Amino acid sequence: MLVALFAFAPRAQAAAPPTFTVGWSVYAGWNPYFYMQKSGILKKWADKYGVVIKVQRFDYAASLDSFVAKNIDACTMTNMEALDMPAAAGVDSTAIVMGDYSNGNDAVLTRNGLTFDKLSGHKVMLVQKTVSEYLLERGMVMNGQQAKLNTLKLINTSDSDIAPAFLNNKGNEAVVTWKPLVSQILEDKSVHSIFDSSKIPGEILDLLVVQTSVLQRPDGSGERFAKAITGAWYETMSQMAGGPQQLAALKGSAAASSDTLESYKEQLKTTALFATPKAATEFTTSPTLKQKMELVRQFCFTHGLLGKGIKSVDDVSIAYPDGSVQGRKDRVRLRFDAKYMQAAMQGKL
Amino acid sequence: MARFSPFDIQARPNYLLGQALSFVLFVVCLGLYIHTSKARHQENPEDRVVPSAAQLRAGIHSSALEPAEEDDYIAPEGAGKWERFRHSMIWKDTASSGKRFGISLLLFLPAILLALHIGLYPYFNAGFMRFVLFFDKIVALSLLPILIIVFGTDELSKISLIFIGVAPTLILDVIQMVKAVPQEQVVKSFTLGANDFDVTYRVVLKQIMPQIINSLRLNLKPIMLFLFAGEMIAASDGLAYRIAIMRRHMGMDVILPYVLWVALLLFLVDFGLRLVNKRMHPWFQS
Repeated sequence: MLVALFAFAPRAQAAAPPTFTVGWSVYAGWNPYFYMQKSGILKKWADKYGVVIKVQRFDYAASLDSFVAKNIDACTMTNMEALDMPAAAGVDSTAIVMGDYSNGNDAVLTRNGLTFDKLSGHKVMLVQKTVSEYLLERGMVMNGQQAKLNTLKLINTSDSDIAPAFLNNKGNEAVVTWKPLVSQILEDKSVHSIFDSSKIPGEILDLLVVQTSVLQRPDGSGERFAKAITGAWYETMSQMAGGPQQLAALKGSAAASSDTLESYKEQLKTTALFATPKAATEFTTSPTLKQKMELVRQFCFTHGLLGKGIKSVDDVSIAYPDGSVQGRKDRVRLRFDAKYMQAAMQGKL
Repeated sequence: MARFSPFDIQARPNYLLGQALSFVLFVVCLGLYIHTSKARHQENPEDRVVPSAAQLRAGIHSSALEPAEEDDYIAPEGAGKWERFRHSMIWKDTASSGKRFGISLLLFLPAILLALHIGLYPYFNAGFMRFVLFFDKIVALSLLPILIIVFGTDELSKISLIFIGVAPTLILDVIQMVKAVPQEQVVKSFTLGANDFDVTYRVVLKQIMPQIINSLRLNLKPIMLFLFAGEMIAASDGLAYRIAIMRRHMGMDVILPYVLWVALLLFLVDFGLRLVNKRMHPWFQS
C-alpha cells in the first residue's frame, strides 16, 4: 500500500516556481549543504534561477531509497552507491557535482598488530556491501592477499553499534568503518589503522547526483535547478576555504552533525574536497576517473550489487564528459556531467 | 425463514460465498501490487522497488536453488532440486535463524516455571513480582548497545535480546493464569493430601498448560521481531541478515520471497502448536 501511495504521489508541479528537493546525509563532505541552506546562499541562487530548492536531511540508506523511488530530485551519494542503487535499478542518474574523495576517512583497523597477511580466518566487523567492504578488498589486493579474500569471516554490523561492539570485546580483532567512528575506535591504544582510503585516492567519491529525467525537463527548469545548486555549492566551498566567512561556514557545517569545530576540522583533513570548480572539473574530465570507476564497477558486479538480473558488468554503463562510455552504449545509467562545474569555473553561472 | 440483509448479525453466508469473501482482500492486495508494478515498470523497465513476476521468479530461483554468495558450494552435475535446496541460501539462513529461534523457545521453559512459582508461592511473589513488572516495561531494543557490550556480537546477544524482550510479558501472562485458578481447588487438593509439588505441577500447571501454549503462540511474532532486530545489527547469516544485505541494493526480488517464507514458517509453527494443544488437551475450550 505504501509503495502504491508513493507511486502515485504528486510529482513537483510545473507551475511557477518549480520546486526541487535535494536529499543529503551526515558526512564531512556533505555537511556544507546544511550551512548552504541555513546561511541563505542556496536561496540567493535559487531565486536567481527562478526555482525553489528544498534541502532535506535523511539517513543515508533512506536518502538512497527515496532517490530510487524518485521522491527526491537530487541526492548526495558515493560513486559506488550511485552505481549500485539508482543506476542498477534503472534510474538514469547524472552526477553534476564532484564533491570530494575520501582521503583517509575510511579505514581498516585491527587489534594487536594484526596485518593483512595474518587476517585470514579472523572475524572482521563492517557494514557489508558498502565502501567499507570495497576498502577491505582493495587493502587485501594491494597487500598481495587476494587469494585469501574468501577466508575472511565478515560480520555485518550496523554502523550505529559498530564502535561500542568492537571496542568492548577484545575478541574482535578487525573492523572497517569511517569517521568519526574511526577516531572513536582509535582512542583505544591497542587498535591501529593498517589501511585507509588515502592509499586509494579518488576511488571513494562523494557526489551530488540528479535524476537525469529532471535535468532533461523540456521547460528547462531542471537545468536551472542544476545551475543554481552548483553555483550555491561553489560559493559555499569558497567560504569554507578561506576569507571572512570561513569560521561561520565551518561552524555551520560542523553543526550539521553536532560535531565540535575541532572534530569537524579533523574529519576535513582526511576529506579531499574539490574546493574549486576548476579542481572538480579537471578530475571529472580526467582519464583517472575512468580507471577508478572501472575498479568500482567490477567490485559491484562481482558482489552481485548490480542485481540478480544483470548478467554482465557492461549492462550498467557509465558515460563520461568526453562522450566515452564504459559498457554497452544503449545501457547508460550513470553519467558524469562536468557541464555545470565548467560553467562555475568560467564564472558563467 | 426470515430474510436478513448481509449486514445483520444473524445473516449467514453459504459455504461458497463465505470462502469467496475470505479471498477478496487477498485479490485486492494482489491487484494493487500488480497494478503498481506494471505502472512502475512502464516508466522504468528495470524498476526494483516493486519487482515483476519474472523478477520475482528469478529471485526465488536464486534464493531457493543457488548457494549464498559467501558459500563455496558448487552443485554437482545433475544435482536434484532437493539437493540444491539443501545447499541454498534460504536453507542456510533458515537453519541459522531457526537455531536461534529454537534456543530462545527452550529458554522460555524455565521462565514459565518461574512464573508458576511466582503465582503460587508468596515468597517467590515477594521476591520477583515487582522486578518483573518493572522489567516488562523496559523497551528491550534500547538496551542493545549494553547487550552487545556484555554478550558480544555472537549468538548470545541475539538470544538474550529475544529473551529480555519477550520473557517478562510471558511471565506476567502466566502469573495471571495461575491466579485465575480458583483458590478452592488448591485448598481442596491440600485437604485431599496433595503436597506442594502435586499442587504446583499436577493441579495448576496441568490445567493452565493449554493457555500457556496459546500465550506462546501470541508471542511468536514478538520473538521473530527481536530475532530480526538482533540479526540486522550484527550477523553473518540468518533470514534478517540476508534481508539487510539485500536492502543495500534494493534486492526486493529476494526480500519479498523471504518475507513470505518467514510468514509461512511462522504460520506452520503456530499451526503446529495449535495442533499439539488440541491433541494434548482435548478438554480445553478457550
